[in-house]
Amino acid sequence: MSTVRSDDSNQVVPMLECSGITMSFGGIPVLRGITFSLEPGTVTALAGENGAGKSTLMKIASGQYRPIDGTVQVRGQDLVSGNTQAAYELGVAIVPQELASIPEMMVYENLFIGREVKTRLGTLDRAAMVKAAKGYLQEFGLGTDPKTRMRELPVGIRQIIEIIKATHRGARVLLLDEPTSAIAEREVARLATIVRSLRDQGVAILFTTHKMEEIRAMADRVVVLRDGTLVSDTPLADISDDGIVTAMIGRELDQLFPERPDAGNDIVLEVKDLVIAAGATPINVTVRKGEILGLAGLVGAGRTELIECIYGIRKPHSGTVTLSGSVLKAGSPRDSIARNLAIVPEDRKGAGAILSMSILDNATLPRIAAFSRFGVLSRRKQRSAISEVMKSMRLKSSGLDQHLENLSGGNQQKVVFGRWLTGQVDALLLDEPTRGVDVGARSEIYRIITELSAAGMAVIMASSDMPEILSLSHRALIMRETGVVGELDREQLDSPDVQDTIFRLASGLRAEPLKDNTP
Amino acid sequence: MNTTATAPAALQRSNWKELAGNFLVRHIMVVVMLLIVAFFAYRSARFATPDNLTNILIAAAPFALIALGQTLVILTGGIDLSVGSVMAVSAMAAAWTAKNAGDNLLLPLVAAVVAGILAGSINGFIVSQLGVPPFITTLGMLTLASGFAYVIGDGAPINGLPASFGLFANTQVLGLTLPVVLMIVAILGLAFVMKRTNYGLRVYAIGGNRLAAEIAGVRSRRILFSVYAISGLLAGLSGLMLASRVITGAPNLGQGYELDAIAAVVIGGASLMGGRGTVWGTAIGLLLIQTINNGLDLLLVPAYWQSVIKGVIIVAAVGVDVWAARRGRR
Repeated sequence: MSTVRSDDSNQVVPMLECSGITMSFGGIPVLRGITFSLEPGTVTALAGENGAGKSTLMKIASGQYRPIDGTVQVRGQDLVSGNTQAAYELGVAIVPQELASIPEMMVYENLFIGREVKTRLGTLDRAAMVKAAKGYLQEFGLGTDPKTRMRELPVGIRQIIEIIKATHRGARVLLLDEPTSAIAEREVARLATIVRSLRDQGVAILFTTHKMEEIRAMADRVVVLRDGTLVSDTPLADISDDGIVTAMIGRELDQLFPERPDAGNDIVLEVKDLVIAAGATPINVTVRKGEILGLAGLVGAGRTELIECIYGIRKPHSGTVTLSGSVLKAGSPRDSIARNLAIVPEDRKGAGAILSMSILDNATLPRIAAFSRFGVLSRRKQRSAISEVMKSMRLKSSGLDQHLENLSGGNQQKVVFGRWLTGQVDALLLDEPTRGVDVGARSEIYRIITELSAAGMAVIMASSDMPEILSLSHRALIMRETGVVGELDREQLDSPDVQDTIFRLASGLRAEPLKDNTP
Repeated sequence: MNTTATAPAALQRSNWKELAGNFLVRHIMVVVMLLIVAFFAYRSARFATPDNLTNILIAAAPFALIALGQTLVILTGGIDLSVGSVMAVSAMAAAWTAKNAGDNLLLPLVAAVVAGILAGSINGFIVSQLGVPPFITTLGMLTLASGFAYVIGDGAPINGLPASFGLFANTQVLGLTLPVVLMIVAILGLAFVMKRTNYGLRVYAIGGNRLAAEIAGVRSRRILFSVYAISGLLAGLSGLMLASRVITGAPNLGQGYELDAIAAVVIGGASLMGGRGTVWGTAIGLLLIQTINNGLDLLLVPAYWQSVIKGVIIVAAVGVDVWAARRGRR
């Protein structure tokens, strides 16, 4: 039971109080009797795996959805559900995962939209708005010109502007849905600073996340949801990281990364003098049988571009890719597939999954010829091969006919991954294989990658997730400015200062410790 | 914890209700259709007779062909505005050939098919290879093909065709006229293609997410080209059927048909964004529109009012569908 007492035992009226919130979509229960409250001047993390019900709870708390049962009270007043405007007037503001800013309008216009400052004549007083906007931005440590167009700003800044918009309209309860899912690490630190300063002003903040570091960095208290049930509600000081993870996934996460068996010796994939775009450094990469090669680097270092060039989504300026002895046709995914190359792209929704199609159809597409005769599909062949693969991926679905748009991120990723495994794969290209994937599914994806490499597949894995690079790969390349700037073998990957080494290489600082080690 | 004890019973009850609701929601257009049929049957004694049913099917046939072509195009996220004009130019090409080739049946057929495929292929080439938006490309083709239709007849209809030209529309097969048979075959055939073949799956795939489809090995340009070519071919056949019915080539034949075809596809539940829709849906949408046309005629509603009523019904039908889909999702 959550208390409504602050530390010095004075009775405090909670800013936001949810009692017995129950919700279901299409007969499937999403939230079961959730009760918790937010006190002024506190930051609460709402943790849980994808599909645990976090976003739905956020939407109920901000009046967007009407729960089947239960009430939401803001400072003791009932929130009329299904009415965002009313929630707004009570001081509840939500910054959604997909930002609601208007990209073609300027920063100050976005800030004042719906409550524009007018002159005596009733026209817009742009000068006054620009001036006020500048003040707000400075207050939050942003030097951005209020006359910049929203679309020209990085996502992280846009998000902070959304927060400014909400709080300057008097929001006392701020709900942030996955605030860090789309922003760079540097911006996370700034977000944390802003969240803390708002807390000190007495705002009650609730944010959703499934990343441990962020819970530690920002929250005072953590509420964990699992399958729509509140399983833990504790001050952060009273719970360990393992405790949170266990609460989220409902079992011990004994080991996130499985053991890596040794790689083989035969070269499977060879990239020779590949120049991604005119003027870039030629890249040479070899991957051996059963080897997992990590690709590290900052955003924009060219990891995705390299993978796209290898697979044929992008035509390189020059250079060749050889797979199992034969040269791949540049710019032809079809040829790559025919030669047993597979890819799991970075942008799952944009390049991997076809959300409007079923699991069966998505999984059929890359190897369609194997399931058909004279162009006619054999449902029997499709079902038997695909259901077997999806079983080995431990896909959670209501059946192969379920559409991908109704699956969680982790399960979508399993389909995008698993669809290749109905046939032979010699080399596998992975680009951020666990982005937007929750902890439980993540460890399963690691298990699958390791098993596949153990069975002889050559794997190239680009990742921004440092533990992934360090614990999963046999060897890692560090990229910067569309070129390879360093290579680390397994021994180096296990050394204690490796993160620092990678960071120095990736950011272009002098890399002292690596001098003697680079081949 | 003790509150959960009652949950299963409550859940089952709501499931039963929701299942019934879901069925209605999923087949809302069939329900709308039945309501409209019931209304007309109640108001007009002639409506629910076998003769009238045949009339509806005969009227539906030329629309069916272009609506099926349109379904493919819309599934890829495109649109084909040119089908009405392509019908006209194909009909004129066929009529011209019939007039000059005498009693030959094959040559007019070839002329109509070639004209249709040619127009469709030009659309397909421009959309798939040059990347011009389908709306613009086919709008251009609408004007161009219509112009050619008038050029072929020198601005006038082509009359005095051999009587055999009427065989395309008036031959009876199994008690049905040839266009109706062609419509039924086309619906069944295309439904099979879209549901059970590689080609169908690829059309859905590039409409759902073109980049993802390409990464999965689909040659999207070929598929895009093909759907416009097929749409052109079907428009050509449709134009021939229509011209044959009156044994005349009229340059204004098929004018505005593209709008009824698009309406049929959309009423059938397809998304103009691509990736969603079915051949069965289009067939229902088509029958819905034709039933309304026929019923209003029987009730002696003046033509201009028919147009008004049809407009309202189209938007209302799709509105009901959108509402149902939203309910289904929640």
